[in-house]
Amino acid sequence: MRCTIVPPHMLEHVAHDPAADPALRAMARRSLVLSAAQRVERRVGPVAPSPPTEDFVPKRTINDAANQETLPGRTVRAEGAPATGDRVVDQAYEWLGVTFDFFEAAYRRDSIDGAGLPMISTVHYGRDYDNAFWNGEQMVYGDGDGVLFTAFTGPLDVTGHELTHGVTQYTAALEYFGQSGALNESASDVFGSLIKQWHLGQTADQADWLIGQGLLAEGVNGVALRSMKEPGTAYDDPRLGKDPQPGHMDDYVDTYRDNGGVHINSGIPNRAFHLAATTLGGNAWEKAGRVWYDTLTGGKLSPTIDFAGFAAATVATATGLYGADAAETTAVRNAWTGVGVSL
Amino acid sequence: MKVTVIRSGGFAGVQRRGESDSGKDPLLARLVDRVDLTSVPPPGRIPDQFLYDIDIDGDTATVGEAQLNGPLRELVHHVLGRAG
Repeated sequence: MRCTIVPPHMLEHVAHDPAADPALRAMARRSLVLSAAQRVERRVGPVAPSPPTEDFVPKRTINDAANQETLPGRTVRAEGAPATGDRVVDQAYEWLGVTFDFFEAAYRRDSIDGAGLPMISTVHYGRDYDNAFWNGEQMVYGDGDGVLFTAFTGPLDVTGHELTHGVTQYTAALEYFGQSGALNESASDVFGSLIKQWHLGQTADQADWLIGQGLLAEGVNGVALRSMKEPGTAYDDPRLGKDPQPGHMDDYVDTYRDNGGVHINSGIPNRAFHLAATTLGGNAWEKAGRVWYDTLTGGKLSPTIDFAGFAAATVATATGLYGADAAETTAVRNAWTGVGVSL
Repeated sequence: MKVTVIRSGGFAGVQRRGESDSGKDPLLARLVDRVDLTSVPPPGRIPDQFLYDIDIDGDTATVGEAQLNGPLRELVHHVLGRAG
């Protein structure tokens, strides 16, 4: 079936018809958010460990804060409801669906907690609000100030990043401070980027490995907020300053601000992931992504684990999946030593 | 009297800084009078929330945006200006 040529209203119907075949329903949901320009050929995550026996169904709620800072705000779109015409609301709804479908297709995960947790987002939060966050229960998005930042609902990887904070909370529960906090941040960037790559059907060498591409307003000197490939190069602007991320332990930043530099030192594990993924080639969510996902959700990490401990855990995961002498395990090991983390 | 506010964290991780001196800012002392830094709760560790380091003549506190309410919020946004 070529879902790309099916009219959207039919896809809407199939996507929400309980009598429809589950696989068809999932495909219809995914297709609804694909524009022909982004992808002409369907590509379903091929790494599910076993054929799906149950179609996971998202439960999305989009709330509107109406430029106040009160949560959760008024519900404007619930699961299955038609588009509202508010581009921000509808984009948030669609990106939640893509993120949900990614975790289902790539890792057979049913939502944030693995057990179908409803996904709740509040948009239009605050006035000129330049941020998005996960508050432990839901996602929150500002519209940006329009001068430095556009709306945080725009880029898919922002939604992927925030929702992954929820996944981490329900799995490794990495403490949001210091190195475990930077690993928490990095996990959100890794899966945020993988969701975008999966959505666009990009292999590791085709991906931009940027976080927040499209978020900087016109006139800001920069390409994104972070670069996993080359941390520290995403922006350099008189108003924003320069991207402060290191890509190697030699440049690790000691600071008490930002919970001990969680958004700064995440550049180091981010680049390690990029090294592993590009060495292995192909779809990054399949091998490198699988190693990181199994490590994050495997229940073996201490919440206060540091870079070296996490690195060792990824090597152990790769060894379990592929063998001690496998190319995959070697790539993971070399990725960490490449950023100065000793094993 | 001098007040410095540094905002860190947030999804973007972009740091912003503002400071104000009561010599040039007649409103500042009145805003500070209503603030008690010793009663501020710890910031909590909410992913991607903004954190504010506030320094009032050497007295300091770190506040998470979820706890930034009332007079302290007014002071922080006053000192940071539009960047708040």
